[in-house]
Amino acid sequence: MGTGNGTSEGRADYKVPRGKLIRVRVVHNNGIIESVRFNGDFFMHPEEAMEELEDMLAGKDIEEACTIIDDFLRNVEVAGGSAEDFKKALKMAMNG
Amino acid sequence: MRVIRDGYHPAAYNMALDEAILRLNEGAVFRTYSWEPSAVSIGYFQSIEEEVDLNAAERMGVDVVRRITGGGAVFHDRDGEVTYSIVLPPGHPAGKRSAAESYEVLCGGIVKALDILGLKAEFAGINDVVVNGKKISGSAQTRKKWGILQHGTLLYDLRPEVMFSLLRVPNEKIRDKMISNIYERVTSMRHLGLDVSRKDVEDALVNGFSDVLGEEVEDSEPAEEELALAERLMRERYGNREWNFRR
Repeated sequence: MGTGNGTSEGRADYKVPRGKLIRVRVVHNNGIIESVRFNGDFFMHPEEAMEELEDMLAGKDIEEACTIIDDFLRNVEVAGGSAEDFKKALKMAMNG
Repeated sequence: MRVIRDGYHPAAYNMALDEAILRLNEGAVFRTYSWEPSAVSIGYFQSIEEEVDLNAAERMGVDVVRRITGGGAVFHDRDGEVTYSIVLPPGHPAGKRSAAESYEVLCGGIVKALDILGLKAEFAGINDVVVNGKKISGSAQTRKKWGILQHGTLLYDLRPEVMFSLLRVPNEKIRDKMISNIYERVTSMRHLGLDVSRKDVEDALVNGFSDVLGEEVEDSEPAEEELALAERLMRERYGNREWNFRR
């Protein structure tokens, strides 16, 4: 959905097989993430890490974002989804 | 283990006191409570507007609150469940492990409680306890520098038509299907034919957790400092729009 000036909003709801639901809401401009939210019923310990990750993804393209997600989630305990799932959901939202 | 049998309270108080106990604990604290009015709690990472029909909640006089813990949206029916919370100090043997491992240890308290009540239950991961393969209890945990808080529900009745009028579903057709299919996935003590009082369930939970944690029961009330901190947390978080609508 275009909102002018090359800025697009993407969203995707991805149900992790045998896991939880990841709802991505992303605003991007020509492939560069402006802001992103990962909502859902998953667990992350510590919880505040999610906001840190979301902030780190601003200004990045999808390739850079995927590398950051991989690195970041190595040190954070997540239940109901994996780094692969968060990357997949983000790609779906960027393309949708 | 301090034990607080806390009765019926609004959502913001329930969540604020859980966090206050976590922040101020000097040892294990176990609390049981219910929700008056009935309430919906959403997980830390959920969007309130995506999960809850806020007009329906207002119309029905149902509280809505964001938890400090992850997981999904839960309808806390006033007379449909007993809620528990357990706080463990840093370094407690049951809390040292990963969240995944301590879920299993702590959910063992619920399995034991159901055993005391005469039901054979088992831990079904990530955070569910099931009877005959159907969910009867769900829990959520947070790990902070002050220790671990896990809270969760134990269902003794189920009103799916009320639950699904409050929780957002994709469309009406799916709503009807979710209502009619719920008993394939979820059960309650009442549906299992168990005739027990609220006090029986509380006693079983207290004894179940005391048993799996190896902690003696010491009956208690919320302390003044806990209530004062809970008051502050209600203002700043759980009774505050900024917190509840932050995602």
